[in-house]
Amino acid sequence: MNRITVKITGPAGMGIKSAGLLLAKIVTDAGYYFADYSEYPSLVRGGHNTYQITFSNEEVFMVDKTADILVSLVAGHEEDRNNLWEIPLPKDIYANTFSIGALVFRLGLDKIKAKKIIKERFGDDLKNLAAFDEGYDWAFKNSKKINIDAPEGNDNKTMIVEGNEAMGWGLVKGGCNFFAAYPMTPSTGVLHFLAKNQDELKIKVIHPEDEIAVASMATGASIGGDSAAVATSGGGFALMTETISLNGALGVGVVYILGQRPGPATGMPTWTSQGDLLFAVFAGHGEFPKIVLAPGNIEESFELAQKAMNLANKYNVPVIVLTDKMLCESAANVKELSKEKLIIEKSTKIVPGQGFYLYNSYEHDDEGFSVEDSEPAKLGVEKRLKIVEEIKKDTPKVLLLGSKNAKKLIVSWGSTKGAILEALKGRSDYAYLQVKTVWPIESEVGKIINGFETKILIENNATGQLGQLLKSQMNITFDKKILKYNGRPFFPHELKEALL
Amino acid sequence: MIDLKSKNIPTWCPGCHDFIIFACLQQAINKKEIDLKKLVIVYDIGCSGNMADFLKVFGVHSLHGRSIPTAVGIKLARPDLTVIAIGGEGGIYGEGMAHLIAAARLNIDLTVLVANNQLYSLTTGQTSPTTPKGAKTKSTPQGAPSVPVEPVSLVKTVNPEASAVHVTCLKPVEVTEAMVTAFGNNGFNLVDIDQLCVTFGKQLNS
Repeated sequence: MNRITVKITGPAGMGIKSAGLLLAKIVTDAGYYFADYSEYPSLVRGGHNTYQITFSNEEVFMVDKTADILVSLVAGHEEDRNNLWEIPLPKDIYANTFSIGALVFRLGLDKIKAKKIIKERFGDDLKNLAAFDEGYDWAFKNSKKINIDAPEGNDNKTMIVEGNEAMGWGLVKGGCNFFAAYPMTPSTGVLHFLAKNQDELKIKVIHPEDEIAVASMATGASIGGDSAAVATSGGGFALMTETISLNGALGVGVVYILGQRPGPATGMPTWTSQGDLLFAVFAGHGEFPKIVLAPGNIEESFELAQKAMNLANKYNVPVIVLTDKMLCESAANVKELSKEKLIIEKSTKIVPGQGFYLYNSYEHDDEGFSVEDSEPAKLGVEKRLKIVEEIKKDTPKVLLLGSKNAKKLIVSWGSTKGAILEALKGRSDYAYLQVKTVWPIESEVGKIINGFETKILIENNATGQLGQLLKSQMNITFDKKILKYNGRPFFPHELKEALL
Repeated sequence: MIDLKSKNIPTWCPGCHDFIIFACLQQAINKKEIDLKKLVIVYDIGCSGNMADFLKVFGVHSLHGRSIPTAVGIKLARPDLTVIAIGGEGGIYGEGMAHLIAAARLNIDLTVLVANNQLYSLTTGQTSPTTPKGAKTKSTPQGAPSVPVEPVSLVKTVNPEASAVHVTCLKPVEVTEAMVTAFGNNGFNLVDIDQLCVTFGKQLNS
């Protein structure tokens, strides 16, 4: 077989994800590609946590829902017992490394290389190595190797990162030197990554009293001359909207990472959704320019976070990176991000020491002084809005994939990309359009979409929000909408069936 | 003395105590000989915040209640700057109270000047966080229901190392001196400045 899916389950605190990421490292080291996905409830101990990984000798865009091998670390977590591999696991914290040992044998992976990775991860805790050996030996005696197509190398994509960490790298490689955040799933990982590495990455990291302070401090830091970014989810973003409007009035660039989860209100904190597109696009009172970018995978999470910093510096507007739990907390093997080129867009803003200027939240003239007369008020509005056309020339373009003969087009944004690419593998009847800049919308988008006979919209929300946006901006209507809104991402088989 | 006034004529009511704070601030900046290239003033929203248009000092006229976190961001980005926040008690002790407490805990080198007239005056006279209990205002015609905030003791309780002083516009020399002292302190400084709203203040005698 050319593709295999392993799922590890158990209660929180058993190292489910830790075991899963070890396996990810082992298969990456072997030269495979992988995609992964984890589920967990919003609690610290207990519950039902899962980690699943699909690996292959060809690129994997999204995990498969059904596991070929299901390993339950603790009794009671066997789910539907479908493809359950019953392993006599130790009833302690070493169950996860025991299971990895067993899996390494069964998946035909290299024992010595795997042990090296275990050692790097756990240092000198010999009990982990012993548990690995016991698991391996048990599987050697009691199971058969599965025949998986040999890896052919993974194009030096050997760094394993979660979306959050990839965005952290993207910010830094775009010149970010000030980051503020108030913890909120699913984007807390950006805060953890940057806080932990702040000295090495030369970035100031602060966790203030609330999200309003987060956005206000980032705005202040940007005025002070720093390149500033924040990260949050829907509820925190709601509090930041007054500052986004302020950024628009002042002409101060700040990058907002918005990791979506299902709302409204607290919703389902540890699950995924694309329910905040229109909220992001229309965040903030008044009329002002704003950019909203939506990465479709982990590599794009890096690229678009970096691009967001550049755009914020160049155009002095708020830039939102719209992602979701599916991307924030899933990992992939990518190129070594620490070695990526630093791209810094020269800032055009006036900073302290460069003479008088008033950054004014009131409508203002060229020096920043408040105005209320009709003519300067009109000029202020026009000056702010005229850069939108320049911005449109500089934002990431749409990605159009697929056969030129395709008459049917799938349109989507964000993390649905993975499942769509999987569903379209080997098919030529569909083309696929990924909208990377959801605001401002490029005018070419309408022309591209209207060039196809059948138009299909795929979104991880209940109301087809990109569809609403395209309808309002370009009068585009879709023949079919495939929508999912139960906190789970689309899996490849679901879209394969829906697109038959 | 360097003239710090902008081209704009102040729009405050005749006799407003904001003129006193405005004059004291210019005196204090001059007295302390602060390099204008190293000075940023962040203004809250309210009558006192309107000073943004009347001073020719690099400034930020922020949002209601957010002058402190904006100032903290500037100071974190540029520790070499003298950063001053100016607001009324509505912004600083009401909408932005959490930010006042957090900045005092952080003990960041910042001076917060509060024009405290016990009323929301720019919005024509409603109760504020320092209105005496029972005072009848436009939003509390039956009397303000809450006890007033005690800003100086509050800040001292939150962080005894932070500086907090109370002065009054009736003694302008002391206001200037309190500002000069605050600009010289390393750490968080609150200067709570008692003032009278000449237009809506008489409600407080009800």
